[in-house]
Amino acid sequence: MKILMVCGNGLGSSFACQMTVEGVLKELGVKADLDHCDLSSARSMKADLILSGKNFESQFKNLAIETPQIFLDRLVDKNEIREKLTPFLKEKGLI
Amino acid sequence: MEVINFIVDNILTQAPITIGLIALLGLVLQRKSVGQTISGTFKTILGFMVLSAGSAVIVQALTFFGAIFTKGYGMQGLVPSIEAINGQAMNELGLGSEIALTLGAIFIVNIIIARFTKWKYIFLTGQALLWMSTICAVFGYYCGLRGAALIVVGGVVGGIFAVAMPAIAQPFVRKITGNDDIALGHFCTVGYVLTALVSKLFGGKSKSTEELNLPKGLEFLQDTYLSIGVVMIPLFIITAFFAGPEFCAKYAGNTNYIVYAFLQAIQFVVGVYVLLAGVRLLLAELVPAFRGIAMKIVPDAVPALDCPVLFPYAPNAVIIGFVSTTIGSVIGMFLFPMFGLPMILPGMMTNFFAGGCAGIFGNAAGGTRGAIISGIIHGLFITLLPALLSPMLADIGFINATCTDVDTIVCGLFYGWLLKPLLGLF
Repeated sequence: MKILMVCGNGLGSSFACQMTVEGVLKELGVKADLDHCDLSSARSMKADLILSGKNFESQFKNLAIETPQIFLDRLVDKNEIREKLTPFLKEKGLI
Repeated sequence: MEVINFIVDNILTQAPITIGLIALLGLVLQRKSVGQTISGTFKTILGFMVLSAGSAVIVQALTFFGAIFTKGYGMQGLVPSIEAINGQAMNELGLGSEIALTLGAIFIVNIIIARFTKWKYIFLTGQALLWMSTICAVFGYYCGLRGAALIVVGGVVGGIFAVAMPAIAQPFVRKITGNDDIALGHFCTVGYVLTALVSKLFGGKSKSTEELNLPKGLEFLQDTYLSIGVVMIPLFIITAFFAGPEFCAKYAGNTNYIVYAFLQAIQFVVGVYVLLAGVRLLLAELVPAFRGIAMKIVPDAVPALDCPVLFPYAPNAVIIGFVSTTIGSVIGMFLFPMFGLPMILPGMMTNFFAGGCAGIFGNAAGGTRGAIISGIIHGLFITLLPALLSPMLADIGFINATCTDVDTIVCGLFYGWLLKPLLGLF
């Protein structure tokens, strides 16, 4: 499974988010391929799930990406990420 | 002796290899598997060389733009782009290895300060550290420092900035996020603190921006490449129009000069895109290694993160900060040349990210009215500082570009105004 973190520049906050997600997945015992990129590139990247900030929600609607998306209020909050990620991982049968 | 000469000439002065070795060291210290170590080292070197390739593209587009701007308006206009400064420092000035080693030194000094003082900030915004190490290396060189002295001074100065900037922002960040879990690691902090203070003065107890209903139309500017394009395309086309078809033909050949200008504007965006893709590859191994090592040595570390981490806390303030900063930077563009300073064109990427974050600070300190007034002041401030730094950059040999992030500029001014005269005494 591949999870993609997205922000405007694809450098700072998406990367910070990725490192937090990595920690959460480790705790949950799930193995996944993680990467981060900018909004323009997100459309052409293959992923099973996209994680991004709430402020990007409307832009993703415009891009019409089919990949499931989760939008976060706080990009580096372990609890929020765990809470929002768990239903998706359960659905995929990973936990 | 020959062996040492070989190492110095072919390894330590070859920037991609130097940075690869730093990554290798980080990976080994983390006890990664052989496969991960090889792939991580390779990707870091790859990233560094992609970055150089992007910079060459930027320089080409900027050379064209500089020529038509001078011809069209009879004056020099500088594009604020820290990416272009970084690229030129690595390619034209050949300071790549110094920059890479200074980056490593900043990591070390940051960890030492966080370990032994009460300021527990670990600066994790890799690209900001890369820009900071660029400025430290460039201005250290300008001051006459060479070799180990340049790297040690750069590491100490940059390392102090990496802790001091999150520390001065923290009272406001605490107010915004409601806790001390994260800090702000973005080298535009001097501007944010100024914005917050101005906002406090003028805003009083005005209503928070988040109670407003704002149009969502400007959100697309969060997309970096779109926001650069939105400004660069009209700027190139209008400038080419004033420069005239005969002058542009030198560059455009048989292509229509307006079409050529349009394509060159996009070429500039391409350069930034490639350069940042290189930065992403370059940092993918370095930042987690730095984080892993730092967290082991400084158990109660507070990570200082990139500014968009704060954006979801006050999305309206981001838009207001962006618009008011842009207004301020446009006023500054026309105002400062009257005082004999060079004309600084508005840098939309900085206006969005730094302006947006300034809006959040302004709102936290003085509500909507405060955010608007202080945003305009912020726009003037981030136009004034690059203008002050640009004569020194021109001295060093940079083409048509100046720095953006104000903390890196303050660092440059510190080198140029204080360190250089001091070193001149000896």
